[in-house]
Amino acid sequence: MVAAAASDTAAQRRAAKRSPLSVAGFKKTVSRHAEIGIFLIAALLILVFSATSDGRWANAYNIGTILQVTATLGLMSVGVALVIGTGEIDISVGSTFGMGALTYLSLVQQIDPPLAALASVAVGAAIGAFNGLLVTRTGTPSLIITLGSLMIFRGIAIALTDGFSFSVPYKMRSGAMYTAFGGDSIGMFNTGVFWLVAALIVLTAMLKLMPYGNRLLAVGGSAASAHSRGVRVDRVKLQAFILCGALAALGGTLEAGKLGFADGSMGRLMELQAIASCVLGGCLLAGGRISLIGAVMGAFVLSSIQSYLVVMGVRPQWFMLLLGLIVVFAALGDRKLRAWALKR
Amino acid sequence: MAHPLISVKNLDLYFGAFHALKDVSVDFNAGELVGLVGDNGAGKTTLIRVLCGIHKPTKGEVWFDGTQVKEFHPKLAIDNGIETIQQSVGLCDNLSIARNFYLGREPVRKILGIPFLDFAKMRGESRKVIREFGLRDNVSADDEVERLSGGERQSVKIGRAVEFMNRVVIMDEPTNHLSVREREHVNELAVQLKEQGLLVIYITHDIFQVHKLADRIVIMENGEKVEDARTTDMTADELEEVIRQGGRKVEKRGAA
Amino acid sequence: MKHLVKGQGFGAVIGVALMLAVFSLIDFSGWWTAQTMSNVIHYTSILGILAMGQALVIMTKEIDLSVGSVYGLAGIAFIMLQPALGVPGAIIAALIIAAAIGLLQGFGVVKGGLPSMIVTLGGLFTVRGIIYVWTGGSVKAFPEEARNAVVTRLFGGEILGLEAAVFWMLAIGAVLNLMLWATRFGNHLLATGGSAESADSRGVLTGRVKITAFVLCSVLAGFAGILTLADQPQTHVTIGDLMELEAISAAVIGGCLLSGGRGSLTGAVLGAFIVTSFRYELIALGAPSSWFITFVGVVLIVAVIFNQKLARMAGHSV
Repeated sequence: MVAAAASDTAAQRRAAKRSPLSVAGFKKTVSRHAEIGIFLIAALLILVFSATSDGRWANAYNIGTILQVTATLGLMSVGVALVIGTGEIDISVGSTFGMGALTYLSLVQQIDPPLAALASVAVGAAIGAFNGLLVTRTGTPSLIITLGSLMIFRGIAIALTDGFSFSVPYKMRSGAMYTAFGGDSIGMFNTGVFWLVAALIVLTAMLKLMPYGNRLLAVGGSAASAHSRGVRVDRVKLQAFILCGALAALGGTLEAGKLGFADGSMGRLMELQAIASCVLGGCLLAGGRISLIGAVMGAFVLSSIQSYLVVMGVRPQWFMLLLGLIVVFAALGDRKLRAWALKR
Repeated sequence: MAHPLISVKNLDLYFGAFHALKDVSVDFNAGELVGLVGDNGAGKTTLIRVLCGIHKPTKGEVWFDGTQVKEFHPKLAIDNGIETIQQSVGLCDNLSIARNFYLGREPVRKILGIPFLDFAKMRGESRKVIREFGLRDNVSADDEVERLSGGERQSVKIGRAVEFMNRVVIMDEPTNHLSVREREHVNELAVQLKEQGLLVIYITHDIFQVHKLADRIVIMENGEKVEDARTTDMTADELEEVIRQGGRKVEKRGAA
Repeated sequence: MKHLVKGQGFGAVIGVALMLAVFSLIDFSGWWTAQTMSNVIHYTSILGILAMGQALVIMTKEIDLSVGSVYGLAGIAFIMLQPALGVPGAIIAALIIAAAIGLLQGFGVVKGGLPSMIVTLGGLFTVRGIIYVWTGGSVKAFPEEARNAVVTRLFGGEILGLEAAVFWMLAIGAVLNLMLWATRFGNHLLATGGSAESADSRGVLTGRVKITAFVLCSVLAGFAGILTLADQPQTHVTIGDLMELEAISAAVIGGCLLSGGRGSLTGAVLGAFIVTSFRYELIALGAPSSWFITFVGVVLIVAVIFNQKLARMAGHSV
């Protein structure tokens, strides 16, 4: 991490030396760091929302809520970003999120929360393996395969909750172990936030500093080139799908821990929000260029907007409309920014 | 020498219904520079793609250093010391030069048992290649390959092949997109590698260029091997005639 | 026979045969009853129209995720605008709205240079949001006199004992098939999906072809929505939710390859038939309705793998 940062500043110094204009330096930064756009948007939104909401948006309680939503959506988005990095897509994560939540809730009353969470993550990883194996073994487009598993596991989730209630009695919703999985807050931060931060650090280190990350991006950049250099393309993709499933299920676990109950529609349409977060965060759908912190910031921006609409008393229906427009314009803006940065 | 370094025996390869390689048998020895020549679509690239593990042959055997190759994957070929410089693939546009340089066999430094990339080594080696091959001054090891020109990309690939301790270097049209100066440099390198005892397979459709360098010329046509001659036995003009005739003249000569 | 096997819809033909055989074997609750068949055929017609539009887009190597929302919006626009514009006026207005959405999405993909998945994902949300915002969460019932208007009966009534939707689907299918296989535009559309670069180099305006495909897809989705609501006057803001999944499934089951350039409109309708039959078979078997989406998911995955194998056997590189 240190080495990378040091070289980046060195590169910027060089860039600055070459051209005294700071625009050139900024261009270089933008071309290397796709997530710049989302940070600018986030900063702007925070300013606007704080200024216009009369303290209803920018208060500890509301920010805490936003961060909790960011944590669960962000974990999912980070997983999707990894899969997008390999040039594939996983739109089954909403259902995986729901399955993770149900697994956790059904087990947490009998066994320790950490074990229940582990089981939930294992279920998510299994769903990811199911997707990954089908995609790599049959060479079918991941969009279709994961569309199929989106439906399969949503159907199973609804069937599971049909007649059974998945909820934890109030008296059991305490204890350090239960709290650790989204059950409560430390200060203004829901414990889910710490999971997100930990996952973000570990995965970013893996992506930027370890051989696996190098290979993952290489597979997304050019699968043929990666293959010719001896990278096992299918294995890399499979691992990304498994990670994605596990992260989505972890997100579901944290949400279930927070709410204490779940129904079959849990996580519905969240796959779309997760993909939106990735696009907002500067991940290129064609693969090879992703930013995990960008995806998390994307999740933060989406949950901030949602919360702003709520506190301002705007009908929640508007969120859906805005979400659609944001996705398209974010993608367009990202493309323009990148094109500008690559122009010599 | 007891056995050839690479021995291909009665190789057949089909792509669906297309018969890409037809009963090809050829030996390659260490310390040899072999020119693999033929028109477009003759099967030269397909043959070397089998050797570097990208394609699995439908029928026939490949022997490497006295043992038969059973499993075909680029990783195994690279681990065996077969380095290939291909025309279209080999570099990922989205990664930096340093990251591309070691792709698939990244050097690591363990910190607390976790394998972290050894950036110092990755940058150092690729910087050396950048200087040696005279890439533009403002190209740094951290720049993405996307920014490089065709010649610069080729230089990185060749530099990478030279850098690792290999036994075989396969060059597929290595001088395409290169300037005259860069071309000379590549050809010198090919000869140097051979003199170090490596097997160099040099693929081109320019018989005159490779005749000056090679010890032996193998000509392919339509998926078949049609000629295999030492450069001391046949002149470039004679070989060119073989290519022009699409191998027919050879068959006549063989019959007579 | 050889022509049939090489055709992209062949997998769907096998699927339909297999499914009918299985359903007949495990049929204890009367899948073959007149009521069930009538429902299956009616819903197949509606989903078939959506699936054909989706198939056209997939053939240009794009995808349209917004059809479920467009289907809903056009249907709701039809009801909401009817008091002001009358039945024919409301139908035309609803179709114009659908076409405009398709046009915007097509522009986003072609002029904006964005992946169609992102643009139409945005479309899915935006259009659904418009439905919520416009209706305020509840939709009025279609008034009695409008239901009985001649034009409404033409779309939602019965003709010769069959639902009008069936005839509309057949007519649209015939026209689209003719357009795809016998006109210059059809040739351009397939070429655009097969290799946009090559098509460009031969002077095909690939951008315009794609935009047209998106417009057609949205108009067809909107038309299907109008057909639905002309028949069934009561609705809800969630109308068409997840329909995009069913439509894509039907098109893929029917042999459309996501690699573009190959597909079958007839196959898409057969795919719609398979998806719909599963829904009613499960209802007939008394399974919870949630199993339906699970089954569609399974069928989708099996079909896409099977169709791909079939295409590879036919010697296509996919």
